[in-house]
Amino acid sequence: MDGCQSGVPTYEGDLHVVAAAHHIVKALGATKNLSDDLRKILIDLDSHLSMITSNIDSKGGRGLVDVEERLDQAERKIMRWETDPMMIWDSGPKEASDYLEAVDETGKLVDGLRGLSVHENRKQKEILHRAMNILQMAMSRLEEELIHILVRHGQQFEPKHMYSRSIRKDIVYDESFVSVEDEPIKETSSRNYSNDESGECIVDLVHADVIPDIKSIAKVMFSSNYGPEFCEAFISVQKEALEQYFSFLGTENLSIEDVLKMEWTCLSSKMNKWTWSMKIIVRVYLASEKQLCDQVLGGLGSVSSYCFLEISKATILCLLNFGEAVAMGPHRPEKLLRLLDMYETLACLLRDIDTLFSEEAGSFIQLQFHELLERLGESAIAAFEAFRVAISSNGSLYPFAGGGVHPLNKYVMNYIRMFPEYCNTLNLLLKNQHPGVADQVTEPDYGLDASLLTSCPMAYHLRSITSCLESNLHKKSQLYKDEALQHIFLMNNIHYLVQKVKGSELRLFFGDEWIRKHNAMFQQHAMNYERATWSSVVSFLKDDNPGSSSMSKSTFKERCKGFSVAFEEVYKTQTSWSIPDPELREDLRISTSLKVVLAYRTFLGRNLAYTDDKCVKHTVEHVENSLLDLFEGSSRSLRNSRRW
Amino acid sequence: MPATDYQASFLGRISIRRNQVIAMDGNHEQELQDLELFSKHVSERFAELLSSPDDVPFDALLSISWLRKLLDFFLCCEAEFKGILMMGNDPSQISKPPLDRLIPEFLDRSVKALDVCNAVTNGLESVRHYQKLAEIVVSALEQKPIGDGQSRRAKKTLTSLISAMNVDDKECSAAKATERSWSFSRRGVSSKDRVPEHFRSVSNHVAKNWSAAKQIQAMTNNLVPPRGAEGSGLASPVYTMSVIMVFVMWALVAAIPCQERNGLSAIHFPAPKQLNWAQSIIGLHEKIGEEWKKKEKKGTAGLLDEMQKMEKLGNILMDFTDSFQFHGDITDQKAEEAAAHAAELAEPCRRMEEGLLPLQMQIREVFHRIVKTRTELLNALDQVGKSSPPLL
Repeated sequence: MDGCQSGVPTYEGDLHVVAAAHHIVKALGATKNLSDDLRKILIDLDSHLSMITSNIDSKGGRGLVDVEERLDQAERKIMRWETDPMMIWDSGPKEASDYLEAVDETGKLVDGLRGLSVHENRKQKEILHRAMNILQMAMSRLEEELIHILVRHGQQFEPKHMYSRSIRKDIVYDESFVSVEDEPIKETSSRNYSNDESGECIVDLVHADVIPDIKSIAKVMFSSNYGPEFCEAFISVQKEALEQYFSFLGTENLSIEDVLKMEWTCLSSKMNKWTWSMKIIVRVYLASEKQLCDQVLGGLGSVSSYCFLEISKATILCLLNFGEAVAMGPHRPEKLLRLLDMYETLACLLRDIDTLFSEEAGSFIQLQFHELLERLGESAIAAFEAFRVAISSNGSLYPFAGGGVHPLNKYVMNYIRMFPEYCNTLNLLLKNQHPGVADQVTEPDYGLDASLLTSCPMAYHLRSITSCLESNLHKKSQLYKDEALQHIFLMNNIHYLVQKVKGSELRLFFGDEWIRKHNAMFQQHAMNYERATWSSVVSFLKDDNPGSSSMSKSTFKERCKGFSVAFEEVYKTQTSWSIPDPELREDLRISTSLKVVLAYRTFLGRNLAYTDDKCVKHTVEHVENSLLDLFEGSSRSLRNSRRW
Repeated sequence: MPATDYQASFLGRISIRRNQVIAMDGNHEQELQDLELFSKHVSERFAELLSSPDDVPFDALLSISWLRKLLDFFLCCEAEFKGILMMGNDPSQISKPPLDRLIPEFLDRSVKALDVCNAVTNGLESVRHYQKLAEIVVSALEQKPIGDGQSRRAKKTLTSLISAMNVDDKECSAAKATERSWSFSRRGVSSKDRVPEHFRSVSNHVAKNWSAAKQIQAMTNNLVPPRGAEGSGLASPVYTMSVIMVFVMWALVAAIPCQERNGLSAIHFPAPKQLNWAQSIIGLHEKIGEEWKKKEKKGTAGLLDEMQKMEKLGNILMDFTDSFQFHGDITDQKAEEAAAHAAELAEPCRRMEEGLLPLQMQIREVFHRIVKTRTELLNALDQVGKSSPPLL
């Protein structure tokens, strides 16, 4: 500026100032959101500066000497590193900033020289070419440095602290039901991830300390028109890092064919893993990647989102393809919960995806997400239907020994016990399945309004599933020849059903009315059992002529014998029957006892005269005690054991 | 081929059938008309693809726009095919011989096609990368006057571009992260032109050991033209659609970088020439197969027209940058030539910029369509299975 003020313009000064000003104007002009006024001023300024440069040009080449000197200086700094085995940014911040300064200087000189008209001045042309050559060398070097920094300071993060992995046990539909156990399933703990818990989980994919370095490299490369090189290098490294992380999560690429052929246990664990990886990749990794792109490339228009898309697209598509493959597969009932997991994961990631890929180019990815969500929903519904079909079509050739709780019942009840966790999703998906229950969708907040819960689509479907189950159990009960055992079987199973409903959140969906009705049902079966078994036994003890004081001895003997034989027969058969629930067993024994023991005591009391006779095989106490052996599931006999 | 020939032969076949089948009701007439229309459309569509002029670069064989047309036709044929198969008056047909065997085979082929779609989608990512590199070359050589620096810049990028495009399938599928760890052991070597590092390969595989060529080979399993009476029933559109599907997947794999393509040219279609609709497909298969054989030995990223142009121009420009460095300076004429070639290179770049994403989306559409039809067919089979109890 001194030169200008003194009125004796030195060419070097002019060239310097003009080049710098030109540079600034250009940089400002590249800013996106400028007001029209400001843009016009900049354009004017640009043409004005061009005028000045041509003025200098016409005055002669003295300035070039200085330019050459400055270029020499920059070249020395840049060339020094060409033979140095060390990486510049590893050598220290001073080295790095010196280098950047030299590159910047070269860039300015190139800009300045370009601004001059070069048609005639051969010397000037030579210097420009030399400067551009140096610049190319430097850019090539910066690209290497960039890759080196990204690789060296790239950070992997351990995903484990972010999500507890689902450890829920699988319930497999299996015709033999060998896998069904009635253990309480560790539930809920695995699903307690909340949507916002992970929302803030942004990590540094590249160490925060080197972000300014990367930014400065981006800045100088973009201002020298080497932006595309920067992007390609950046994308390559980051894309590979993502792929590495992807395999680090243990998610391997599988062809659709492989997935369709996969055995259930394997597929189930892959589905679990997918749910887990999807969340980490989207919520943590991609969110962090997006941040990195924005940090490094923010302010360069759409460059950041372009790079982000290129980095993430392939991995996202890979994840989506697994989902597609799963949704395509056979709709087996056991898939339902895993499918719902996948569906819910995707549904709660949609917002993130829509934000991450908000640009037009990313709409492709958005669309694929939405399509997969729909497909998974359809697939879940199909699996739900398959579940229902499996229940109604489960057939048996032989009666279930002992009349206890049928494995089908256990399987179904333990399975549907988990449905309330998926209440919202199931309601959403089942809404259109039956027009009758279409309109009501409930809030997740159970317990507030129980009557609303009992009328939601899921509740309707739950009740329809148990009614399928009940009719199947009725069919199964017909396989018993013994009517009493039919009732024991139904009593056991309906009791189990009710217990399962009462003991879980299912009760909110089934409602008190249902429970009352089913309580009455199994009680009815208990009564029917008593009638079927004991009426004939007790009939021996009946007083045929209530008027007379006692019966004849022979009649008494005959009655006694008849009773003993019948009782022993019942004892022998029904000790092998089973009532697994101790309370139910106890209740039934008490009520049986009340009926049988009371009748027996009365019978003996009325005929006291004969009671010392040998024909009284069983004492009242003995009968009472023997009744305690019933329904324990192991056959015993009274004939050989004379315990009195 | 004149249309009359076609009709004559088709009617000929019908008349044979008339003799075989004693009673033919209205449904059958309708069905035959549909079948006739279907193979007519197939024939027309592929004839159009075969007649694509080579001199109009936009529509040239295996150009992006040609592939998009191919996929469009695939979707059209597919829709028609599904119509014939599913809208028929007798849905139980699909569970009766020979369809009870042909449909599951067709579905199996569909699943394989899905994996090919995914492999090709991955491959398009590589093409996108070539495009970006070529754009850098263009912008370097566009500069006037062209100097040593820009020539070096172009050369460096061209080296990346050409080596990326010449990666043969073996390397392609074996490119593991470890091999590509960014090592800088060469630092210190005072070479002005280091081998560029931003070399990306097809790293997202469909699956380990997956091979596009084997996959397509497997798609041709059991693919035989229906014989005798079968030839006039629904077996024939199933066969036709299968051939179309195999051909489309084969063409995509030939055009676009893909995991493992050894033996691609050895795949034969069992499509007899006497089938009219098949002639254009056979023609295309031969034409593309020849191209592939020529390129296969050298190792090629694919036959995509834009990529081939890129490769050709890339080599020319590579020579230019070599001579630039050798001579230090260059005549104006040479510089102008180079600028012209660079401008030419901008053309495939532009077409890629415009066409790659739509192509990728279209492949995805094909993917979804195949999935959808598969689901519908499975459901239909399921329904038929339910409504007619097994004869025991």
